[in-house]
Amino acid sequence: MEAKIEIELTARAIDLCRELPAEFAAVAGARVEFAGNVRGEENGRAIAALEYEAYSPMAEREMRRILEDILQRHDCLFVRVTHRTGIVPVGEAAVHVVALARHRAAALALVPEFMNRLKQDVPIWKRRALSEADLKMI
Amino acid sequence: MKILFFAHLRDATGCAEIERHFGAVDAAGLWDRLIAEFPALGKFRPGVRLARNGEYVDPGAHFSDADEVALIPPVSGG
Repeated sequence: MEAKIEIELTARAIDLCRELPAEFAAVAGARVEFAGNVRGEENGRAIAALEYEAYSPMAEREMRRILEDILQRHDCLFVRVTHRTGIVPVGEAAVHVVALARHRAAALALVPEFMNRLKQDVPIWKRRALSEADLKMI
Repeated sequence: MKILFFAHLRDATGCAEIERHFGAVDAAGLWDRLIAEFPALGKFRPGVRLARNGEYVDPGAHFSDADEVALIPPVSGG
């Protein structure tokens, strides 16, 4: 069965508890998640947020292309990738990946490989780091 | 063609996109024209990949006025 892929770029906070498709509840023996959060330090200085910019149509297409490639080797049932754009405050997730598979090996392999390739090829950028003072001026 | 600039390339050009009629042009020719118009782009050229209509292309690619061309500096998502 071909894996179901969901990709979303959003300017809103990512709901890390968002419901997964019910159709996989009885067949997915493994659920692997990764959330990449904004840390309060960038290049040695305290920050309050990061601003992300994306070339959205290409970013979504590139993420799908990468996932389709990985899924040929790692047999997952479902993958959802959500990536923030705009200003992401410290402590919030900038990216969230959820993979469901029948067995753990596939889902455990997919997530780190996808993240590595996202960081090489998907046209999304950390545009700037913002301090508390910067945020108050926006 | 529509040409898109992202991240620090937007700062270097002072704009997010431009529309130009270069006709049929290869990547080297495109770079020559862009750097002539925006000299600040020159120093970034070695690390920038080109995309045509939302897909990465080889350095030897050709472009037409119907294309959307994006200059993709090193990415930093996640």
